[in-house]
Amino acid sequence: MLELTNLDASYGFLQVLWDVSLHVDDGEFVGLIGPNGAGKSTTLKTIAGLLTPKGGKVLFKGKSMNAVPAHRTTQMGISYISEDLNLFVDMSVRENLLMGAYTVKDPERQLETLDFVFELFPRLEERKGQRAGTMSGGERKMLAIARGMMSNPELLLVDEPSLGLAPHLVTDVFNSLKRLQEAGVTLMLVEQRVNATLEITDRAYVLEQGKIVMEGPSSELIENKHIKDAYLGI
Amino acid sequence: MEQKTSLADALRETISENLAATIILVATAVLAVWLGISAGLSQVIISLVTGGMWALMAVGLALVFGVMNVPHFAHGESFMVGAFVAYFVFTPIRDYLAQNPNPALTAVAPFAGMIAAALAGAVLGVILERLLFYPLRIKSRAGEWVMNAFLLTVGISFVMTNGARLLIGATFRGIPGYWLVPPLEILGTRIAVDRVMAFAIALVSIAALWFFLGRTRTGRAIRAVSQDEVGAQMMGINLNFIFPLTFSLATAMAALAGASLLFMFQAYPTVGLTPLYFAWFVVMMAGLGNVAGAIVGGFIVAVFQTATQQFAGIAWTDVIPTALMIVILLVVPFGIFGSEMEE
Amino acid sequence: MTSVELELRQRQAQAGIYGTIKAMLHRLGFTPLGLALLVGVAVLPVVPYFRQEHILRWLVAGALLAGQAAAFDFTAGYINVVNFGFAAILGVGAYTSAILANEMPFLIVQPGISPWIGIWIGGLVAGLLGLGLGWLTLRLRGIYAAVMAWFVGLALLGLVRNLTPLTRGALGLSPPTLLPGAGNLPYFYIIFGMMLVVYVVLRQVTLSHVGLAFKAIGQNIGAAKASGINPTYYRVLNFALSCAFAGWLGGFYAHYYASLTPATLMHTSKTVEVLAIAYIGGRGSLWGGMVLAFPFVFFIQHLRSTFTDLPGLHLVIYGALMILVMIFYPDGLSGLWEATLEKVRSALSKS
Repeated sequence: MLELTNLDASYGFLQVLWDVSLHVDDGEFVGLIGPNGAGKSTTLKTIAGLLTPKGGKVLFKGKSMNAVPAHRTTQMGISYISEDLNLFVDMSVRENLLMGAYTVKDPERQLETLDFVFELFPRLEERKGQRAGTMSGGERKMLAIARGMMSNPELLLVDEPSLGLAPHLVTDVFNSLKRLQEAGVTLMLVEQRVNATLEITDRAYVLEQGKIVMEGPSSELIENKHIKDAYLGI
Repeated sequence: MEQKTSLADALRETISENLAATIILVATAVLAVWLGISAGLSQVIISLVTGGMWALMAVGLALVFGVMNVPHFAHGESFMVGAFVAYFVFTPIRDYLAQNPNPALTAVAPFAGMIAAALAGAVLGVILERLLFYPLRIKSRAGEWVMNAFLLTVGISFVMTNGARLLIGATFRGIPGYWLVPPLEILGTRIAVDRVMAFAIALVSIAALWFFLGRTRTGRAIRAVSQDEVGAQMMGINLNFIFPLTFSLATAMAALAGASLLFMFQAYPTVGLTPLYFAWFVVMMAGLGNVAGAIVGGFIVAVFQTATQQFAGIAWTDVIPTALMIVILLVVPFGIFGSEMEE
Repeated sequence: MTSVELELRQRQAQAGIYGTIKAMLHRLGFTPLGLALLVGVAVLPVVPYFRQEHILRWLVAGALLAGQAAAFDFTAGYINVVNFGFAAILGVGAYTSAILANEMPFLIVQPGISPWIGIWIGGLVAGLLGLGLGWLTLRLRGIYAAVMAWFVGLALLGLVRNLTPLTRGALGLSPPTLLPGAGNLPYFYIIFGMMLVVYVVLRQVTLSHVGLAFKAIGQNIGAAKASGINPTYYRVLNFALSCAFAGWLGGFYAHYYASLTPATLMHTSKTVEVLAIAYIGGRGSLWGGMVLAFPFVFFIQHLRSTFTDLPGLHLVIYGALMILVMIFYPDGLSGLWEATLEKVRSALSKS
């Protein structure tokens, strides 16, 4: 579904990604782990079209995405849930979700997805009239993920959903991601919580200083010595 | 402990912000009543008519700032364009009617002028956005956009006023009124139909805009862009569609204001200056980029303006509201209803 | 190009008498080329063409505009605040001096103070106003400060228009001239000298540690505060200086053109004219607008006298130039010059 080949990316003169190659297959749940500042978010932003790659290729369903701007990637079926969430703080929960379905022109399908999302996050339904800016951190995360679902994406990119969340909420969020995979969505998750990520993903890549240093099935990586030393602190 | 103090701070801040808004609103109401008692109801109605028009101007200004971060200094020139277009569309029809009376056309002619003005404004808005703001956005460095955009609009204003002088000439072109019918009797006061219509047009346009922004897919997209540009792009919203649309809407509204006030403000190259001042008073007082605030603010400023004219003389119309605005800005720099620039 | 290369080669010559002179010049804020340009303009009246009275008037207008552009850029280009009330402040200086010089009965006061003294008082009053304006805009950034200054300018314009016993309102004043009966030549040297004073003083400030503080505040007020710079002091100081010079130049305006009305002097469009020159010339350079002012006045005046049937054409070109510069070269003339110098330098060092 998604394939990055020899991707280079930079902010101005500062190069962040070097020769990154990875792929995500249909229906897969892939993790991208690594320390702070390794370029994980940059990778997602580049896929989402918020950043134009400096070199290399981004292929989505066989089409080159290099020059595709962010709003087109969404229309093509990629949904990106950013670390900053980028919620519309002066809009209600419901309005935020409807914005998520901006690319879905059929109102009935919008409402269907809305029902599905409310089923996934019943808490959001309880608060559908509340202004997004007044919600708690956990609720905002849920709203952002739910909003990302509203465009019926084929590929969902999730950036650090656990950041700043209480542990029991992290479990909730991770469970909902797993349920999305079961519903047929392909996912790519960027996380610093290595253990939890490796437990729910099928495969994972390790990104360090802008380069992929390791890849493999998550069940194998969790046993890897480098991973254990560097990330799991065992 | 820390959280509590920040909460208390936040609370105090909210109260003090609302305090400013409350004081201003109460002062406006008192002033309006006083105006009604001492100068007659007609002055209150004049405030309402002007208020509607300043609101129509200010809403566009607020929208353009909220969505595109453009402090629009050439907004008055959109008013000017509207006034000229309405004049050049309406007067030939009127002259034709003088020869060939036709009641149906007489009723439609004013609207023809205004709709032509609004359309011209809409087209002008798209052209300006694509031709000037788009390349500026591509070239501008982060952090310099607001000031660069401001200076760009200053240049646009200069070119448009002097361009109008060059092309159309510096003569005043006005009309005594769109509707040459006797004034209406409202609550014992005689009010010219043109004023009533101007007020109605302002209200209908603002209501339509409100509905559009709140209830339609595209309107919501505009609000989304003003709240979070990156988030909006992530939802699949094309900024290159939203920006021209927003600018076009704002320009059309200003042009409509210019057209419907043609009986008060004769078309002239620099006719947009006064509306521009007052629209800026409104948005600065209400809070830059705050669309709802701009609507209320339009009426507040109009009451101040009419009261100044009434009690201090017409010569002071610029000075006293300006001085008031300076004081308000000193106390609440982000406006009485708050601005999105605020952090 | 040759002059550039020459300058560069000479810059490379470290020692010698020329180096010493250059260092001294630099301390005053002049490059050899800049000095040459100045001397060139100063001796222009030797050329018969420039000795014509109407051409001398253009030269006066050029020097006046150059001084204003430098004073404006001192605020806009250094602390990054656009003083949108600049013309109004200049007008207050002009009116102060004009009223002080008044001996006529149609104003309620007849101080009859010599314009030679009055223009200094005008500068002082404008400087005090600048102090106030600096304080008013202190809490405001970017567009808010610009709009606040604009509102203050509008209020001042309205005041001057309304205080008819002092200003005769829209009718305006006809103050006495500095040199009754004299031609334009002495005026040219007076305003040229004033322009030089404005530049040298402002340049001294920007070259000192104060200038560094200005730039720091202009770029990032938070960071400037963190490194111990008190923005209040520097912003107020900057406004006071810039406005004082504006008022001083305004005094010259009053006693040269001998005609003042609120609209021709204090209107927002007058600020825009100065602003356009300063920005097209290049912000944060002081000299960009000054260099541009002279050819610009000549260009505009030629345009005006050639196309008398097209009123406002020169202003359309003014605005269009500004739009083009904003979009395509926001660094302006001085930025272009620096970039060219840089290119030449790197080309020379390679060869």
